[in-house]
Amino acid sequence: MIESIILWLLAILTAPFFSAIMFKVKAFFGGRIGSPLLINYYTLIKLFKKGSVYSTSTTVVFKLGPIISFASAITVLMFLPIAGHNPIFSFNGDVILILYLMGLGRFFTIAAAMDTASPFEGMGAAREAYFPIICEAAMFMILIFFYRLTGQLQLSAYFTGDNTIVLWNLAGAPLLFIVISLFIILLTENSRVPVDDPATHLELTMIHEVMVLDHSGPDFGLIELGSFCKLFFYSTIVSRLILPFDFGFSAIGYFVFIIGLIIVYVTVGVTESVIARYRMDKVPQFVLTSFALAFFATIITLEFI
Amino acid sequence: MNQFFVSILIILVGGFLSLVLARQFKLMKIVAVFSLSAGCFLGLMDAVTKLLHSGSEAVSFKYLNILSLAFQIDGLPAFFLVAIFAVCLLAAIYSFHYMDQSVDAVRTAVHYFFFSILIASMALVVTAANIITFMLSWEIMSLSSFFLVIYNYESSENRKAGYLYFIFSHVGAMFIFAAFGIIYGYTGSFGFGAVDSIPQAAKILVFIFSFIGFGSKAGVFPFHVWLPHAHPAAPSHISAVMSGVMIKTGIYGIVKIYTLLNFHTPLFGNIVLVAGVISGILGIVYALGQQDFKRLLAYSSVENIGIILIGLGIGMIGVSSGNQLMAVLGFTGGFLHILNHSIFKSLLFMGAGMVLHKTGTRSIDALGGLLKNMKITGGAVIIGSLAICGLPPFNGFVGEFFIYIGGFKGVSLDTSAFVMSCFAIVGLAVIGGLALACFTKVIGVAFQGEPRTKAAVNVDEKGSTMLLSMSILAIACVLIGLFPKMIIHLPLKAVSALGLGYGHVSLEPFEQMTANITLAAVIFLVSCLFVIAIRWFFYRGKTITKSGTWGCGFTQPTVKMQYTGSSYASFILDFFRPAAPLEENHPKIKGRFPLKTYYKSHVNDIAEFNMKGVIVNPVLFLFDKLRWIQHGDIHLYIGYILLAIILLLFFI
Repeated sequence: MIESIILWLLAILTAPFFSAIMFKVKAFFGGRIGSPLLINYYTLIKLFKKGSVYSTSTTVVFKLGPIISFASAITVLMFLPIAGHNPIFSFNGDVILILYLMGLGRFFTIAAAMDTASPFEGMGAAREAYFPIICEAAMFMILIFFYRLTGQLQLSAYFTGDNTIVLWNLAGAPLLFIVISLFIILLTENSRVPVDDPATHLELTMIHEVMVLDHSGPDFGLIELGSFCKLFFYSTIVSRLILPFDFGFSAIGYFVFIIGLIIVYVTVGVTESVIARYRMDKVPQFVLTSFALAFFATIITLEFI
Repeated sequence: MNQFFVSILIILVGGFLSLVLARQFKLMKIVAVFSLSAGCFLGLMDAVTKLLHSGSEAVSFKYLNILSLAFQIDGLPAFFLVAIFAVCLLAAIYSFHYMDQSVDAVRTAVHYFFFSILIASMALVVTAANIITFMLSWEIMSLSSFFLVIYNYESSENRKAGYLYFIFSHVGAMFIFAAFGIIYGYTGSFGFGAVDSIPQAAKILVFIFSFIGFGSKAGVFPFHVWLPHAHPAAPSHISAVMSGVMIKTGIYGIVKIYTLLNFHTPLFGNIVLVAGVISGILGIVYALGQQDFKRLLAYSSVENIGIILIGLGIGMIGVSSGNQLMAVLGFTGGFLHILNHSIFKSLLFMGAGMVLHKTGTRSIDALGGLLKNMKITGGAVIIGSLAICGLPPFNGFVGEFFIYIGGFKGVSLDTSAFVMSCFAIVGLAVIGGLALACFTKVIGVAFQGEPRTKAAVNVDEKGSTMLLSMSILAIACVLIGLFPKMIIHLPLKAVSALGLGYGHVSLEPFEQMTANITLAAVIFLVSCLFVIAIRWFFYRGKTITKSGTWGCGFTQPTVKMQYTGSSYASFILDFFRPAAPLEENHPKIKGRFPLKTYYKSHVNDIAEFNMKGVIVNPVLFLFDKLRWIQHGDIHLYIGYILLAIILLLFFI
């Protein structure tokens, strides 16, 4: 239990560091040295030192937005098995709760964006409401796949101890599909290229970044930290799937886990560097691919088991 | 049973007194609201006690020596009575300030009269214990709600809505009559007792007929066409009652017939589940396309009926494949969603009623920024929206959680149950995502941002009884979401009263699940408090300034630039274009200095769109050919009657 809480705290604290790896990779591809690896901490400290400017159009919902989205992000991490260890909380059906808690965070992010009366933020909100619908369908298809293999409905049954290796032994080939599918979901849910470009300079083409235009100071810091945590959540799952080895509570276990995480973040960085973002109307097709992959994987298990 | 009849009597007397006292507007309203709510409260207490103590009482009367009227209250009726009386109680209280235009006192009195009949007939429908009683109450319910729909009969739109409702409720009733006719043909009695003795082929036919009949009342796609017309036409508390509980009598009918038939073929579960997924997805897609607040809510009722049917379908599949836990989970989830939906949907309709009352418009795109002046209404509507999206920690999540778990139980079964379960789970996930988009649209466009027209400027939210009803419902949404344990016994008792032929299912896993939901909700709320503390810490002594919204460098924004509900939804609707064709109407922009232009869009409901071509026109064509029968000559009409009687004598 204590280990789990420490891991949870470490996850929140180190999430900004891992995100900086993506910047480094992108800088490398651009032929630049890039910002230091601690850049996100500097940004967060700067933000938390500032005050805020609120739009005259906004109401209390605007202030609730960052609170709820950050709270849901850290609550979700409490249910996540980090480095194969038991999470702080776990019960039958916790995956459904996790997905719906993220939905709650999204509801308030959208509501906060609509609160500003800005056409740009409305546009971002409409897109933010759209793509996760397909992601959710794909996530539940993946859950059906896992349930079919394990008969359980909790993250700890898939990602703790040697459970992940058992999954690979049971259905290795379809699990490859699932890894790709989860990676697409990771890109979509965390607004990365090719779905959304967080580094673009034009507000019209953004999704997530444009929704938080009016947030400033500590509020914006919470949003940023929350999105690092969200990316950490998905990366942990993918990294656990690609390096499923179980070493118990040992240094090598953590080392392998961190290597896995770095692989995922580097892959995201490479993807961002080599692919341009898709036109908005092509994005749904890309996201649907994740659903199709998960669907095929599940169909294949019908034969195996 | 006595307390039940006393409460019905109080309700009916209240309705009758309102007619007598029509001249004294204030007194009439006080008497009507008081007796309606007193009757509902008594009935509610009675139903809750009966449900928790698993009591079963039956009583029957002879009427005109041939027709026997029989009533019975056990688990299933008691569960529906709880929802009916609870929602009607709050709707009656709400109506006190909502019906404050004394210019048409007589009409208000007539409305209370029909309202009281509607409540009484809904209560009688679910307690009816034979075919005669059931159909009698069913027809009274349809007719009384018809008169409530045409409350504002001056508007031709409302008359059309009433007409459509009248046709649909009677065609639906015809199907129910057909189903009951088949039953009577085999059993020869009006009782519900011997229904499971009829042959299997007949059982399937009975189920399909009654599914269409009851489905048209419940608003199952494609029989939902009347619903988005009729619900917005009625006064808002009546819409709350109709959407919150009246359409659930259709669900009651489906469950009742299912238990009576006692025939556990996978076919029934599959029909119900597929109808549920289709209604759920299309209902919320059409809801997303609406600009009218109350119409949007009506379409969202179609969606929620879909979710309820998904739950029931999973339950039926569980029964037919012998998986107890799946069956109980599915039915419990469905029943819980019936209760939850009646809470948050009536809350949302009451919120829409408040908005309509104060701004005079139902168009979402004409509103904006209401939250600043309507804090309680806005807060209640936000809570209702969160609940209807099925988000934790609100009540909508609890029902959907049970349905999900039940669906996952089906994933490990054989192929057909597996496919159906996958369909249900993915369907629910898509419905959840679309509902989130739909209700962020309502909140974001109507309650947030800046007022788009004059109607939304300087509104207030006076009307204490309206606020009281909404607050109670909002609190119920939160409490059930936080502590589902206190409510879970109601649907569980109702499910066990179904007597579905599997043994006793232990309550332990259900209590564990509700405890887990409570745990998760508490964790989340503690995290929220923690984050609020952090935020407070970092904002200590900081300068906080107010300024205009950042317009990306543009400094002269107007309210017209805001995203409207239509533009918000258009992106998603585009994806569902085959099922929800968008009709656009705007002139082409010409020249260098274009003049003022307009844009109109409307999302077509394919059921409504095709109804004209597939059903209305052929029927009109057929009856046009039979027009010669109607000639206006009274002698021949009497001849028809005689001929009919003589012909019938041959068959008896």
